[in-house]
Amino acid sequence: MAAETHVMGVFRDEGQAVAAITGLATAGFRFRRAHSPIPSHRIQETLTLGKSRVGWFTLAGGILGFFTGFALAIFTSTQWHLVVSGKPIVSLIPFFIVGFEFTILFSVFGNVIGLLVCARLPDTKGLALYDPRCSGEHFGVLAACESGRRGELVNFFREKGGEARTFE
Amino acid sequence: MSQHTPSPPSQPSGAPGRRVLVPAGTLAAAGLAVFFLGAAGADPGRAWQAFLINFLLWSSIAQGAVLFSAVTRITRARWSGPLDGLSGAFAGFFPLSFLLFLALAFGGPHVFPWMHADLHGKESWLNVPFVLARNGVGLLILYGIGFMFLRQALRLRLAPAAGGTGVRRLLAGGAPADAAEAERIQARMTRWAGLYCFAFALVLSLAGFDLVMAMDPHWYSTLFGAYHFVKAFYLGLGALIILAALLALRRGGAPGLESRHFHDIGKLFFAFCLLWADFFYVQLTVIWYGNIPEETHYVILRTVLPPWRPLAWTVFSMVFIIPFIVLINKRIKTVPAAILTLCSLVIVGLWLELLLLVGPPLNHGAAELPLGLSDAILFLGFLGLMVMAVSAMLRTFPELLPPAQPVRS
Repeated sequence: MAAETHVMGVFRDEGQAVAAITGLATAGFRFRRAHSPIPSHRIQETLTLGKSRVGWFTLAGGILGFFTGFALAIFTSTQWHLVVSGKPIVSLIPFFIVGFEFTILFSVFGNVIGLLVCARLPDTKGLALYDPRCSGEHFGVLAACESGRRGELVNFFREKGGEARTFE
Repeated sequence: MSQHTPSPPSQPSGAPGRRVLVPAGTLAAAGLAVFFLGAAGADPGRAWQAFLINFLLWSSIAQGAVLFSAVTRITRARWSGPLDGLSGAFAGFFPLSFLLFLALAFGGPHVFPWMHADLHGKESWLNVPFVLARNGVGLLILYGIGFMFLRQALRLRLAPAAGGTGVRRLLAGGAPADAAEAERIQARMTRWAGLYCFAFALVLSLAGFDLVMAMDPHWYSTLFGAYHFVKAFYLGLGALIILAALLALRRGGAPGLESRHFHDIGKLFFAFCLLWADFFYVQLTVIWYGNIPEETHYVILRTVLPPWRPLAWTVFSMVFIIPFIVLINKRIKTVPAAILTLCSLVIVGLWLELLLLVGPPLNHGAAELPLGLSDAILFLGFLGLMVMAVSAMLRTFPELLPPAQPVRS
């Protein structure tokens, strides 16, 4: 298999970045990533991303938290057997509060874990294929191609109005 | 009612016609007949119980649905789009609701079981003339404010050349003459919306205390009024979604109603499903901790003892557990047929919940649930009245219907 090389098109204009992303597939290049200094709805729509899987992590966290909360409350109550106002040791009505709080807590944990997993973070190699200007006022479109087509990809980005930066 | 375009981009269509009014009228007539037969028969208490439950349910639906447009108005919400207009159509039930309330005066002890009881000093508050007077005045104020709010909203929706006579002229007046007047109407509309929200909370709290909680005059929960008006909004949202879904299904593709509208109001409905459960649980927890017999008997009777126990679990499942699980899903909120089914389930669940609240004091020592065919027919009769009222509003003011073409807000 031919060695793969990465080229990033760096644009000052959002529309040019969107046009570049749209044109990559038809030109036979592989789109890898887009960087934007702002939350860009246009880029988001162009990428036609599938539905995020983060929600499933949140749901799993919430369900786990609900039962963990009840389990914790029951476990700690049965360790001491302190009868208060004649109430049962294991009283599900007040334990619901603990269950609810743990649902929220574990949902947040699930959400954060889901975010990290889906965004493949932490990405120790990420900075190797990054242009710091994308944290300022530029848009970056990272694409890959076979080593032999590097020049074509560079020209493609220049034609779209951007500056091409090559990564080995 | 946040679409303030003096001339709508395209003429709305789809006002309910004879095909809706005839069955609705038949249902209403059947319900009325069953009520009169029951009230004049051997067990008038049963008929009055069903009347009271349905009065509370359908009035709450109308009041809650109109609240939706008031809330979106004062929050300057733009997402609601054509739903604002549809919610205004429920104001058509206000006059009927007031007449039905006045009819409660003839229910006597079948509606006010505390009439001949020893009230231990509460007689000055719980006496029929005073209960009827304060709730009647409250409803008049609420409905008056509701119509004033609706009037401003309708004026903004009228096309400049739109004419009108009779009810149309009386309710809406005329379209604003210029942009400056339109702005003044908008400001007035916001004020009436705020007043409606305020009156809604006060009047529905009062009705909750007087007509539901006072059934058991020695039991009280300070949160009961808030519980009652939160439930009314939950009901109103459900009915609004049903109306929108019916229009979407009938029009085949819902040109003016997009899936995002269903998704957004579905989320609000989901939120009020949680809030209803929250208000229920908050009251339950306090009573459970306090463990005072004067308070616990109310809960024990309805949730532990037969014949009410199965009904309590049915209500909890229909109003909270099932909607909670189903509404987590995003797509189901956007499918009109699915969300229509779910909202209908919730409304029937809340109808049963009212039976659970007012049933025990009206049926002391009942061996089986006081629920049968006549109750179902009366429920359908009130449904017929609501359909007729909403249809009449939509026929009189087709501006309340979603425009034939989608409007981007």
